[in-house]
Amino acid sequence: MKVAYYPGCASHGIAKDVDIATQMIAKDLDLELMEVDDWNCCGGGFMDDKNEAVHASLNLRNLEKVEKMGYNKMATPCSVCLNSHKIAADKYENDPVLKEDVDERLKEANMEEYDNGVESEHFIWVLIRDVGIDNIRKHVKRPLTGLKVGTYYGCQLLRPSNVMGFESAFNPHSVMDLVAATGATPVAFPMKTACCGFPLMGSNPTVALKMANNILSSARNEGSEILVHPCSLCHLQLDVTQDKIQRQFKQDWRLPAVYITQLIGLSFGYTPKQLGMSKGSIEYLKSRGIS
Amino acid sequence: MEKKEYDAVILGGGLAGLMAANIVAAAGFSVAVVSKVFPTRSHSAAAEGGIAAYIMGNSDPNDDPDFMSYDEVKGGDYLVDQDAAELLSKKSGDIVNLLDAWGAPFNRQPDGRIALRYFGGQTYPRTRFIADKTGMALLHTLFEHSTGFKNIEYYNEYYVLDIVKEGNNVNGLVAMEMKTLNPIYLKSRALLIASGGIGMMYKHTTNSYINTGDGQGIALRSGVALKDPEFVQFHPTGLYPSDILISEAARAEGAILKNNKGERFMAKYAPHKFDLAPRDIVSRSMTIEIREGRGFEGGYLGLDLRHLGKKYIIERLALAYDAAKNFSGVDASEEMIPVRPAQHYFMGGIDVDTTGTNHDLNGVFSAGESACVSVHGANRLGSNSLLETVVYGRETGNTMVEFLKSHKNVETNSNVDPIVDAAYAYIKRETGEHFGVLTEELRDIMWDNVGIFRDNDKLAEAVSKIKDLRVRARSMYVTDKTSNYNTELFNALETRNMLDVAYTMATAALNRTETRGAHFRDDYPTRDDQNWMKHTLTYLAGDEIKISYKPVTYTRWKPEARVY
Amino acid sequence: MEEKEITVNIKKYNDKDGAFWKSYKLKADKYTQMTEVLRRIKSEQDPSLAYRASCHMAVCGSCSMKINGIPSLACRTIALQAVNEKNEINVESMDYYPGVRDLITDIDGFYDKIYKVMPRLIADESVLMGENEQRMTPEDQTEVWKFQECIYCGLCVSACPSVKEDEKFLGPAAHAKGFRFIDDVRDTKKQERIELLMDSAYRCTSCYMCYEVCPQDVQPVIAIKKTKNYLDQYKGDTPVTVMARKHDDTIVNLIETTGKIKESTLFLKTFGFGEAMRDAVDMLKTGKFKYAFEKDSKVKNMSEIKNMMGEKK
Ligand SMILES: Cc1cc2nc3c(=O)[nH]c(=O)nc-3n(C[C@H](O)[C@H](O)[C@H](O)COP(=O)(O)OP(=O)(O)OC[C@H]3O[C@@H](n4cnc5c(N)ncnc54)[C@H](O)[C@@H]3O)c2cc1C
Ligand code: SF4
Ligand code: SF4
Ligand code: FES
Repeated sequence: MKVAYYPGCASHGIAKDVDIATQMIAKDLDLELMEVDDWNCCGGGFMDDKNEAVHASLNLRNLEKVEKMGYNKMATPCSVCLNSHKIAADKYENDPVLKEDVDERLKEANMEEYDNGVESEHFIWVLIRDVGIDNIRKHVKRPLTGLKVGTYYGCQLLRPSNVMGFESAFNPHSVMDLVAATGATPVAFPMKTACCGFPLMGSNPTVALKMANNILSSARNEGSEILVHPCSLCHLQLDVTQDKIQRQFKQDWRLPAVYITQLIGLSFGYTPKQLGMSKGSIEYLKSRGIS
Repeated sequence: MEKKEYDAVILGGGLAGLMAANIVAAAGFSVAVVSKVFPTRSHSAAAEGGIAAYIMGNSDPNDDPDFMSYDEVKGGDYLVDQDAAELLSKKSGDIVNLLDAWGAPFNRQPDGRIALRYFGGQTYPRTRFIADKTGMALLHTLFEHSTGFKNIEYYNEYYVLDIVKEGNNVNGLVAMEMKTLNPIYLKSRALLIASGGIGMMYKHTTNSYINTGDGQGIALRSGVALKDPEFVQFHPTGLYPSDILISEAARAEGAILKNNKGERFMAKYAPHKFDLAPRDIVSRSMTIEIREGRGFEGGYLGLDLRHLGKKYIIERLALAYDAAKNFSGVDASEEMIPVRPAQHYFMGGIDVDTTGTNHDLNGVFSAGESACVSVHGANRLGSNSLLETVVYGRETGNTMVEFLKSHKNVETNSNVDPIVDAAYAYIKRETGEHFGVLTEELRDIMWDNVGIFRDNDKLAEAVSKIKDLRVRARSMYVTDKTSNYNTELFNALETRNMLDVAYTMATAALNRTETRGAHFRDDYPTRDDQNWMKHTLTYLAGDEIKISYKPVTYTRWKPEARVY
Repeated sequence: MEEKEITVNIKKYNDKDGAFWKSYKLKADKYTQMTEVLRRIKSEQDPSLAYRASCHMAVCGSCSMKINGIPSLACRTIALQAVNEKNEINVESMDYYPGVRDLITDIDGFYDKIYKVMPRLIADESVLMGENEQRMTPEDQTEVWKFQECIYCGLCVSACPSVKEDEKFLGPAAHAKGFRFIDDVRDTKKQERIELLMDSAYRCTSCYMCYEVCPQDVQPVIAIKKTKNYLDQYKGDTPVTVMARKHDDTIVNLIETTGKIKESTLFLKTFGFGEAMRDAVDMLKTGKFKYAFEKDSKVKNMSEIKNMMGEKK
């Protein structure tokens, strides 16, 4: 099966390992990821703070490129990119004043009016809906039996649920189902749908790090050994930034945070290193006999 | 006991209370607003359809304030005080402009002026609206405006127990902080009662849970008269079975009532105005249809919106659409909405003149649904109640300002302990009946016997049953002995008020041997101008009700038959 | 009408006994609202049960609570739609606010935040004198109304992560209210309002929780984002807005020039050299430093991007 694929800036930058792992398991699952032609940044959850019409136009440009490629679905591994495209399309459909402004902009960029012909989806929705959990289970070569994995959803994947439209914002189970498919033990924790604080890093990092720490602590308190999440930017916040958190909160523990396709990749038999994981994660997994 | 002194105390944080508070405060006097709920939770928030106003230069070119007054007078079956109705119409445009200046986001016409639409009983369209949450938007506007005054102090979630009297003058009131049950004496020389309606005493009502006739009960107990308490409005379209209001806006926008044969039965009862005839007529017609077997199983009729199309319904009637969907599981664009009449509005109320002044007790004023000015007479027209709350809220506020300028607070501190002791007594008592038993009985009696169709037997039975309930209420007790937000105590106190008010309502209804507006007597089915063109005044004297009368004020309209 | 027996578990609370769960059984049909369930429990089984409710039609904002863990209005929740497989419903008071009694919480803190945003229209003097009339297009009215539709239910604040962690944050409802007036062409205090709101706006973490729980679809986070649109007009400077300016300018600049965001550049510009170096050291430790030099091709057709990003059309 072929799907239009929007990697997003982060997964082609500091969160490169998100892209690496996603590409790997997609290949195994016979998913052909067709990178969106000449895609642009979705605005990363910030562009609408500057100008809603510019934000919407940037996102619709990507969706139109997908349409031109002949697809009606665009998958992305990043919750923020997902949220951004979905909100943009929703506003375009429901806010006639904004639509006018956006149409002007699209015209100046030699694009047509957008006809809402493309659905943005998270890569894990494609995994669940199109590939199927059973199918994924069949590819598991190394069941991660006994590994206690905190299942984290974060905010942008789930909310607002009437725009995102995949699962309940309060009782989601997509990440849990995928984790279960790898043979690992999913661990639900109270803050599984709270925000990791990434969007605040650009204005109020102290509080942002507090939020990240809340997530990590909550997962750890429920007995998670590692945390799995569905977002390139959560990845920056919870993995790379963990040293900063340790410093700010004088913490002596670390909770490895890996992207969902990295965990699936492990169960498919890839090594942590192949999956591009950070040193801390590699070391921890090694201590659990996974390398 | 804690004591505080103000120039004016206002009982009620609904539209009427807040409008008056803004006016009195703007004149520089200190004001306490006491409300048993946070002001924006007052029942005014529930008003959907709109507020009627003749705005010069922004009304139907053929319309005129006189037509508006005439509609009110005729709608109220000539029991309206015509000077009061004229004042209401004349100031309607002005007050809507003031609300707009204070920030109310009225729906607009393409040229930027305030939009308008038709409501039942109107000769020309006059209703101004804010989506279908007009009451909520206006209430928030007035509340928000009031946050700009430093001399308004709010006592939110304080329950008013009773008025304090010193001789023939008001000397404030006693309230209880609901969170702690601590009493507080709020002393003042002017007291506005703006405590809203009475719906909870009826089994089926569109009203909020908090509409329990407290202000009217309090007034009765301090010797103040209720005027015309026999007049209760039943709204035709309460959603079945929750009785949530489906606004008249639905019919104004083209919805049609149908019976189980699919007939537009209103054609039979109101050949000119059809579904937009005044509420009393539509409610009675519906009751007849149901009684004669043309209703649906369970006792309701259909409100048909389907021909309006989904897009239009969602744009113009979102609240009705959502209510039907959320509370009856009906998609109004595909099915008829199940409706039946339910209690909606109390035309009677504390006896005041067109300045909002009561003449039984010096310093008592009243406005809004708790007052009877009377602009609604025997039946209120849609959109006129919101208008009354703000127009008479302002008039009364101005009257209070004048009163405050020429009067000083009473020097003496009255003994208020008995008021507090009476309330605590329910907690101290160890046995007796629960409020729940008494209210449920009262709600049945009022619905069955003092409802849409009345007669001598039903009313006499109601009076005697209510008398009995009042006796039983004396030994009411509260199981919850804590002082920690004891809502059970407040429910008991509300029951006491409802019983006192219900008592006057049933008695006055039994007394009025004619049919007029919403008061329909099967045994006296016609209007009797000869004997009954007069207001009822009811006083509570211990266990008895004393009835006297007051003439209706005419200016220019002579009574004529009321056909629609 | 068909009725089903349900079990309602309520987390009760009073000063003396603290918090404890109590279960009630009663019958409900497919129309029964949770407010009606509570009313019946109170009048038939447990008169001491304390909760707030007034309009029972979702306009007064009294009946906010958590139903099955979800911040909800009780009157907007139909009992039989809320029950789980065992026909049970769990009801608790809202998070964040101090408990008072059973389902009643003290939400004074919520109102205090609203009072801070000057929540009233200040019209032109000539309008107040009745000399001038105010006009407003239907489109402007629609937008103002969207953010004015808040019913002060407090649910959004109870669920907002930033409010919990940051006492300087005014919270979602107050922001919706504040923006409603910025957005109102009839108001005369726009600049003052921008000054009042900007620092706080950048304390929101854009998690869309308020959007999710709001029973009126007010979308407070959108109001916050729209407030941030006025950053250029903001005159005050706080550490938060200074950083936000650097951060946002860098983003806009990166997109304008390459069509994409490069996180490493963003870190450098936002946090300054010192902090960015520390981040670099962290990244070295994680083994991800190499990714910072990932070179993604910039957008080829940059004219498309530039043309879309101009001033308001
Ligand atoms: C569902 C519905 C829809 C309606 N729609 C319309 C409409 O479209 N147009 C129209 O014109 N009219 C409408 N009405 C009627 C109108 O809403 C009311 O008549 C009006 O809002 C009453 O306002 P008020 O200020 O008098 O009282 P309320 O708003 O009821 O306020 C009463 C105040 O008194 C306080 N109070 C009462 N007792 C006590 C006590 N013991 N201690 C302390 N405080 C107390 C309460 O807390 C509250 O603040 C509607 C009514 C209903 C039921
Ligand atoms: S989006 Fe902002 S205001 Fe809304 S809940 Fe999240 S942090 Fe709070
Ligand atoms: S914004 Fe929505 S959730 Fe928040 S208080 Fe207002 S109505 Fe409630
Ligand atoms: S009771 Fe008014 S919002 Fe629920």
